[in-house]
Amino acid sequence: MTATVEEAGEALLQRPPAEVRHAEELAALRATDQDPRPPGWQLSMRAARRFIVGDEQDGISRKFVGNVSLVERALVTLATNRGLMLVGEPGTAKSLLSELIAAAVSGSSALTVQGGAATTEDQIKYSWNYALLVSEGPSARSLVPAPMLRGMAEGRIVRFEEITRCPLEVQDCLLSLLSDRVITIPELDGPQGLVFARQGFNVIATANTRDRGVNEMSAALKRRFNFETVFPIADFETELGLVEAEAAELLRQSGVEPPPRRDVLEVLVATFRELRGAAAQGERMSTVMSTAEAVSVAHAVGVRAWFLRGEPGGAADVVACLAGTAAKDSPEDLARLRRFLQQEAPRRQGPQWQALHEARHLLAD
Amino acid sequence: MPAPASKRSAAETRRAQRTAPQPAVFLGVRHHSPACAHLVAHTIRTLRPAFVLVEGPADMNDRLDELLLEHTMPIAVFSHYRDDRRVATSWTPLCDYSPEWIALREGRAAGAEVRFVDLPAWHPAVAGHTDRYANRYADAEARYAEATRRLCRHFAVDSVDALWDGLFEVTEPGTDPQELRARLDTYFDLVRGDAEADAGDRAREEYMASWVRAASAHAGDRPVLVVTGGFHQPALRALTARHADAPADWPAVPEPPDGAVGGSFLVPYTFRQLDAFAGYQSGMPSPGYYQRLWETGPTVAGQDLSRAVTERLRARRIPLSTADLIAARSLSQGLARLRGHPYETRVDVLDGLAGALIADDLDRPLPWTARGTLGAGTHPVVVEMVAACTGEAVGRLHPDTPLPPLVHDVAAHLAHFGLTDAEATVRLDLTRQGDLHRSRVLHRLRVLEVPGFTRVSGPADGTDPVFNEVWESRPAGAGREAALIEAGAYGARLDEAAAALLGERMRAAGPEVGALAGLLFDAVLCGAGPLCADVLAALAAKVGQVGDLGPLGEILSAALGLWRHDRVFGTARDRLLGGVVGSSVDRVFRLAEGLHGGPGVDLAALRALAAARDALRHAPGLLSVSPAFAAEAGARISRDPHAPPGLRGAAFGLRWALGVPDDPGPVVRALAAAAVDTLGDWLTGLFTVAREEVAHGTTAGEHSLVDLVDDVVSALTEADFLIALPALRQAFAFFPPRERERIAERLLQRRGLRGSARSLLRTPADPLLLARAGALEKNVTRLLDRHGLGAPTVSPVVPAPARKAGR
Repeated sequence: MTATVEEAGEALLQRPPAEVRHAEELAALRATDQDPRPPGWQLSMRAARRFIVGDEQDGISRKFVGNVSLVERALVTLATNRGLMLVGEPGTAKSLLSELIAAAVSGSSALTVQGGAATTEDQIKYSWNYALLVSEGPSARSLVPAPMLRGMAEGRIVRFEEITRCPLEVQDCLLSLLSDRVITIPELDGPQGLVFARQGFNVIATANTRDRGVNEMSAALKRRFNFETVFPIADFETELGLVEAEAAELLRQSGVEPPPRRDVLEVLVATFRELRGAAAQGERMSTVMSTAEAVSVAHAVGVRAWFLRGEPGGAADVVACLAGTAAKDSPEDLARLRRFLQQEAPRRQGPQWQALHEARHLLAD
Repeated sequence: MPAPASKRSAAETRRAQRTAPQPAVFLGVRHHSPACAHLVAHTIRTLRPAFVLVEGPADMNDRLDELLLEHTMPIAVFSHYRDDRRVATSWTPLCDYSPEWIALREGRAAGAEVRFVDLPAWHPAVAGHTDRYANRYADAEARYAEATRRLCRHFAVDSVDALWDGLFEVTEPGTDPQELRARLDTYFDLVRGDAEADAGDRAREEYMASWVRAASAHAGDRPVLVVTGGFHQPALRALTARHADAPADWPAVPEPPDGAVGGSFLVPYTFRQLDAFAGYQSGMPSPGYYQRLWETGPTVAGQDLSRAVTERLRARRIPLSTADLIAARSLSQGLARLRGHPYETRVDVLDGLAGALIADDLDRPLPWTARGTLGAGTHPVVVEMVAACTGEAVGRLHPDTPLPPLVHDVAAHLAHFGLTDAEATVRLDLTRQGDLHRSRVLHRLRVLEVPGFTRVSGPADGTDPVFNEVWESRPAGAGREAALIEAGAYGARLDEAAAALLGERMRAAGPEVGALAGLLFDAVLCGAGPLCADVLAALAAKVGQVGDLGPLGEILSAALGLWRHDRVFGTARDRLLGGVVGSSVDRVFRLAEGLHGGPGVDLAALRALAAARDALRHAPGLLSVSPAFAAEAGARISRDPHAPPGLRGAAFGLRWALGVPDDPGPVVRALAAAAVDTLGDWLTGLFTVAREEVAHGTTAGEHSLVDLVDDVVSALTEADFLIALPALRQAFAFFPPRERERIAERLLQRRGLRGSARSLLRTPADPLLLARAGALEKNVTRLLDRHGLGAPTVSPVVPAPARKAGR
């Protein structure tokens, strides 16, 4: 799998996995890593932490802007006998964090189960090549291992995305796997029928708190995980910087020449933060005002202004794009957004806020 | 990085200091740090200095004996000051492991002269740059945020507390104290960096340096030890070296200016007050943990913390298995190793417990990743963990300690007002000046929870037209004095203490409105004055978070009423009360716009708009909301099809009341056509806010509203009329009888009838019943007709209501 990724070349891929994107940094860290490594890990825990939170002196970029202690707890958890459960609002970089950790610990983030209503046990443990099964009967050759089986056999981290979207029965197939650390394959005889987990195997699950929270998970499964909540970025400047960098990159890929204007992005990010903060006062938006969403609005703003008018996006574009992206299908959200533009925007200082207020009529009814 | 430059300068000062004839030893500490306390004790024992100079109020020097009695820690030196321009109070908290406390005790035990060398708390240099409730040992890191942010980033930690613990509190066993000192010096040099101290700090440092010079001159060939906050230490070194030739007399202790009152005294303190998680800007978080760290070292302190958390959670019946505890322990140990700590630090233990015990998503980040108070919505397990760190220690003063001035102040007040310590009933008439003062004293005691007086009756809220109060007093005994000594930590005078406590409660209160309104009224009962400033400012900030329109309206009308009228309590035109009015009106519009709902009337919500109307009319100067803005918002609400009809009516009325009426014709007709049951709701809203305008017949469209409603109602079918009637009756009940009579007259006029309008209003039975009876009668007649049993026309049983009169 990784081989094909590398053969294809990074340039052709829309989004190469973390271990390819940051291959040089990983190699450099591995080369200089002196600290003890937990068994089965490709990096020491400290090197893994530096890979994720960055190290300016060694030229390691900062890839995750959340709390350092969160990353530390996550790494230590993976070295114990509990799985790691990352929970949080959608768009808080949970999947990115799990990808980075998997790349650092196992050198590969490819062993991934994507949870959903249609996920079955086959996709988690193993299934069969039915042609071979019919002609040869059950054998190691006709067995098609799924990510969990591979992760256990190879001693790697397995990512389980959106675990709470799976049916509860399917979630519970992880129970014995996480406590006994073995998968039994009753169809195979002898030692082949038991696959024991090698050192280095563990599970990172992610769950978002919006569609189906972790409350429905069985208590038995819950206690096999340590929970970590990933929060939206606390610091305005950090979030603004991230949105600016990500949006500029997306715009470049979309063939938009001018980079996004900083003062417009400031207004955009501040609006997002304000609406997100309103949740604390009982006015929770049903749409998620995540940083990722802000990036996508910033992208849309740039694209719209450049291809329609040939200029960088302004506050009016922000209003137009917010209507479609941020306030997706909920009239309440739209009303909240409108209220913000009508009541809050004129109280802020600055020409872009003024422009935002004046463009409020662009919000469709 | 400014660090190299400052390192150089520090090195230079150190060189300069070596050549100075009387070397003073500077020990920079962090307040409330056990590691620094150990270092201070060790330094005193090895150095045997002649003088130990400690950062602390110099005006306490005469009373060090009192301070060094065998108190149960924590205690605080409470300082107060007042002149005609400002009021200031401040605390200098001390606990067992405070380096300053250790310096005093160990210094005296080693036979050294100990002295406080900082300016008194009332001095503008100390009181100037912090708020009214200052803490001398508040964290200076907050003022060097940029440098600490860089350090945290460099060491990859989340907060300066975690950084400090890892660097200093939990160190390799057998770390040489000299190495720790060198590390501390580097740390403080780095953090202070090139940052300019403000004028207040410079004045304090100059003053402290003058003490150092004098002590050096008097010490002969023996050393002098200077224990101050680490941030002052580089500057102190430089100042002492620079002015080595300056006169070396003992500096005078500044006296308060003429006409000012001030003083310092000891009060008992608690760990809860000391904790940064619970308080607002005080010292180091988690005093309970650091107490154990000081007493027993890091291993036991960590174990004790785990145990305390476990016990608390089990007492709360939060399930906790042994497996969870094992997981927490291994997580903590792993974290300590990853972070390079020889033992588990506080944050390692807490992180381990949080990771293993909490199987939910959190609404808020873990509080120890940043500084600040615990907000609403903090996970219950986290709350227990923080409480376990805080500890429950409550200080007690040695019996020989002079009583705090509050005790004397209260005694004087009670004697002056003839409030005796015996079983009696006290009746007060609040309109009389003397009784009002008595009432205030009693309310302040009530707020401070001083036993002895119980309020039996009196006004229940700011708009209650009751002017008499009844109190029962009973002998309080020793309980009162104990309560007063404890309350002495809040102020030197009864009014100050009550105001400080109310302010603290206000800050701690959630956004539940009932509590806020209660606190507002408590503040008023205790006597609004400059001292209630804090309470009112906090309330103004809190109303910005209230989530319900109705209760908010109650606060608004209460505050507005007190602001406009209250001569009894002396709150009329109070500036800060005005602030509460301003932010309430702001919030009313925010909440009203976007409120959705169906039929049914929430009268409280409608009254909130009426209160906003009053504020716009009578106190426009207080508001950030302009009438034009309000009218615009009113237009939006009244057009919003999802808004409750009552609120739409009220918004419509608001525009009318503001002098920009719209034509009610289309709205009334649309409501009658689409949802006749909501017509009455809409009118209720309208009449709540704009009754006068409607009654005076000010027309918005071509016809008066009464005509319009009459037309619409007359055109209703019988069935619709029955549906609409209850809400309509409720709406017109808003008019007082005289106005209702005028409306009835108008209706008679319109129909060209003559007769008594009054009798039209006085039906012998409930009109709703009459209407139903009429409908029933009609039904019966129709049924009889259908079966050919019809009698000649039945005459109406009753004088019909208005609409029938027209037929």
